[in-house]
Amino acid sequence: MSAPLLSIRDLSVVVRGDQGPRTLLDRVSLDLAPGEILGLVGESGSGKSLLCRSLVQLLPSRAISVTQGEVRMGGRDLLALSEAQMQQVRGAEIGMIFQNPSSHLDPLMRVGDQIVEGLRFHRRLDRAAAKAEAIALMGQVGFTDPPRQFAAYPHEFSGGMRQRAMIAVALACDPKILIADEPTTALDVTIQAQILRLLMELRERRGLSIILITHDLGVVAQTCDRIAVMRQGRVVEVGDKRALLARPAHAYTRALIASHPSMPVTNECSEVDDQADEAKVASLPPPSAVPARPLVEIDDLHIRYPLPGGLFGRRRSFSAVKGVSLQIRPGETVGIVGESGSGKSTLARAMLGLTPIADGHVTFDGVTLRGQPRVALAKIRHQAAMVFQDPFNSLNPRLTISQTLTEVLRVQGKVPSAAIPARVVELLALVELDPELAGRRPRQLSGGQCQRAGIARALAVDPRLIVADECVAALDVTIQAQIVALFQRLVKTMELTLVFIAHDLAIVRHLCERVVVMHHGRIVEEGPCAEVFERPREAYTAALIAAIPDIDPERRLLAPPVEKLAS
Amino acid sequence: MHRYSFILMRPLQFVPVVFGVSLITFILVRMIPGDPARVLLGARATPTAIANIRAQFGLDEPLWLQYLYFLRNLANGEMGMSIVYRIDVLRLIGTRIEPTFALILCSVLLSILIAVPLAAIAARNQGRPVDHAIRFVSTFGIGFPPFWLGLMLIMLLAVRFPIFPVSGYGETLGDKLAHLVLPALTIALSLSTVLLRSLRAAMVDWLKSDVATAARARGMPESIVFWRHVLPNSIAPTINLLAVNIGWLIGGTVVIESIFALPGMGQLLVRAIFSRDYMVVQGIAMVFACATVLVNFLADIATVAADPRVKL
Repeated sequence: MSAPLLSIRDLSVVVRGDQGPRTLLDRVSLDLAPGEILGLVGESGSGKSLLCRSLVQLLPSRAISVTQGEVRMGGRDLLALSEAQMQQVRGAEIGMIFQNPSSHLDPLMRVGDQIVEGLRFHRRLDRAAAKAEAIALMGQVGFTDPPRQFAAYPHEFSGGMRQRAMIAVALACDPKILIADEPTTALDVTIQAQILRLLMELRERRGLSIILITHDLGVVAQTCDRIAVMRQGRVVEVGDKRALLARPAHAYTRALIASHPSMPVTNECSEVDDQADEAKVASLPPPSAVPARPLVEIDDLHIRYPLPGGLFGRRRSFSAVKGVSLQIRPGETVGIVGESGSGKSTLARAMLGLTPIADGHVTFDGVTLRGQPRVALAKIRHQAAMVFQDPFNSLNPRLTISQTLTEVLRVQGKVPSAAIPARVVELLALVELDPELAGRRPRQLSGGQCQRAGIARALAVDPRLIVADECVAALDVTIQAQIVALFQRLVKTMELTLVFIAHDLAIVRHLCERVVVMHHGRIVEEGPCAEVFERPREAYTAALIAAIPDIDPERRLLAPPVEKLAS
Repeated sequence: MHRYSFILMRPLQFVPVVFGVSLITFILVRMIPGDPARVLLGARATPTAIANIRAQFGLDEPLWLQYLYFLRNLANGEMGMSIVYRIDVLRLIGTRIEPTFALILCSVLLSILIAVPLAAIAARNQGRPVDHAIRFVSTFGIGFPPFWLGLMLIMLLAVRFPIFPVSGYGETLGDKLAHLVLPALTIALSLSTVLLRSLRAAMVDWLKSDVATAARARGMPESIVFWRHVLPNSIAPTINLLAVNIGWLIGGTVVIESIFALPGMGQLLVRAIFSRDYMVVQGIAMVFACATVLVNFLADIATVAADPRVKL
């Protein structure tokens, strides 16, 4: 390796709290070579974002401080620089892009002006030159019509385009190092592939060094040269990508790799999966084996949301679901996949009578929602339950977990009140949640624990159908794997019908028997998981599958030209 | 649809509002006990004289017919005659609008001049002594009633140190402004605290926001982060708060105008109520209502101008 561009030595960061100081980063040492992409992997709370914030002295709180170590770049120790000197480093030498471009771009400022800001401040260009340069930059990062898009505001762009804007804003200051903090986590797979490819292109073209923070080993495998694995404030393993993925030395790295959804199923779930496979085989020839009546039957469903219009203007509406027909048989595990805006969540909400239907029918266990809304809703509320994406915000913050469960049990009335406490304990055991946590409120739990509580709440209904809407999207990979394993076990032991909505195809492939692919409010393909993933019939499905970053570096990521860049 | 096209459509919504306001004020005014003719002519007036006056102003007609006359006049841009002043109500109000309008304008400008810098200082020094001091002092603005504050200001700045006039309204522009300082300051002291608290809270949030972090991460000095990114984003929620308060002020200047003997609409309204001058009370109520609607309309325009995401 050539002389490092950036060299971190024994960096320790401490937070002063009520119970004395706590170490957040523990003697971290890392090097970054010129033109290198270094992947920083680890779960939330492992300190990877904090490490990058420390490099540019942008610590998130006054209580957090660097206690030892140095960060050498260009013959200086960055940690010893004054605030004024640091302002010349930030942006101009080390640029940053973030996970959520929507919240990091100024909503009130034109995208072009945000790029110009850096050009004028760091490169001292005059207004006209800065504007010309900004337009050129916007072209480089993939804007289709930079002169026009220069004057647009962030909210007028899609998530992917906002991330491109964020990258242009960072590049405007012409940094040598780009820190990308989970830059694609909030994006759809196809968009993720485009952004990753853009980052690699920029590395080639500008000789940029990139520190890529991510929790997704697939992303790292596809883009990085070297990987550093972080856990609890320490770097547990660093090494060349291929060597590290092939022969992980640290137990934690092995666990991370094993949790990756694109990995073949490991021993723990294999027994479950074998049986699931049998079930798949059994369910393949539809007729005799399966009950005649589907549990949920959706027929030519249309759902429209009204758009704000004028007083006299014609009421316009947006079609979220356009003519979807779908049957879900009891005991089935159906995955609904698609990019954001494809209508998958709307479809799920419609199944539970949570959104008004414009046209078509939803039938739950023989009762149509539009024909007999009262009967159908009563039935749905007693036999179906939902698990939501955000484990924190979907639980009442003022209630403890046991209060939440008790409330559901009391309302449902299926369990005599005397038996409720026992049932709560039983439910917690079902979702493998420590009974000691029953007295806690959501804020006192981790994301994974919260989601288990959310699942317990759904199970408290004693449902026949569970609809899980992106319920693992907000969780770390190892936790994701645990929750998916939990669902597998529940489905198998409780005769549950599961509708599992996800943008992550790998998880669906892992968990579901049947998959439904949605695009622009329509079903483009459906069928048994194995078949759809192995031999997709539609180009769109194939493109979606190809865009999943595989953990095997040799299986190159294809950025498919499915959707042209947003115009 | 263009973002600003609501400017053309929204005024159509004013029609039912004005209609509703006219009905309510008409009924309420007539529910006040007492007879304007008797108030006008005094206790010893003869029944014939009273009947004459009542006939002259149409007060002997049935209520619904009086309301229809009122509406017909309104449609012609007339609000009837003042029983006491014996002149057209609109002309009467016209002579009184300026002091009230000027008072509200000065109060609002003064409030903004006080609130924005103090909020900025407090937010940028969050948790430090200066922040606590500003927040502590601002509780007084909310705590003290305006009439008391006004009297204290008169005693201090007009009597003890005679810098500003005690009361009344001037003739020349400079004179008028001098007379407006104390009443405007009285209002601004309480209004600015409301704005200050809202602004400071928004600024504190935006200083910690991702937008500010991103700006710092590209090397922007704290002053640019604050003035270019934090301040504009913090203003939006305060615009509506300000509009609500101006709406309240429009009716709330009565007390201040009385203390400082400003010949504005508030003062006129109080006199009109005492003398049962129905037409004047109605007219002022209509003007207040329309002004409130107008202020909120302007606030909507300001909101749309301040935030490109807002669509109305």
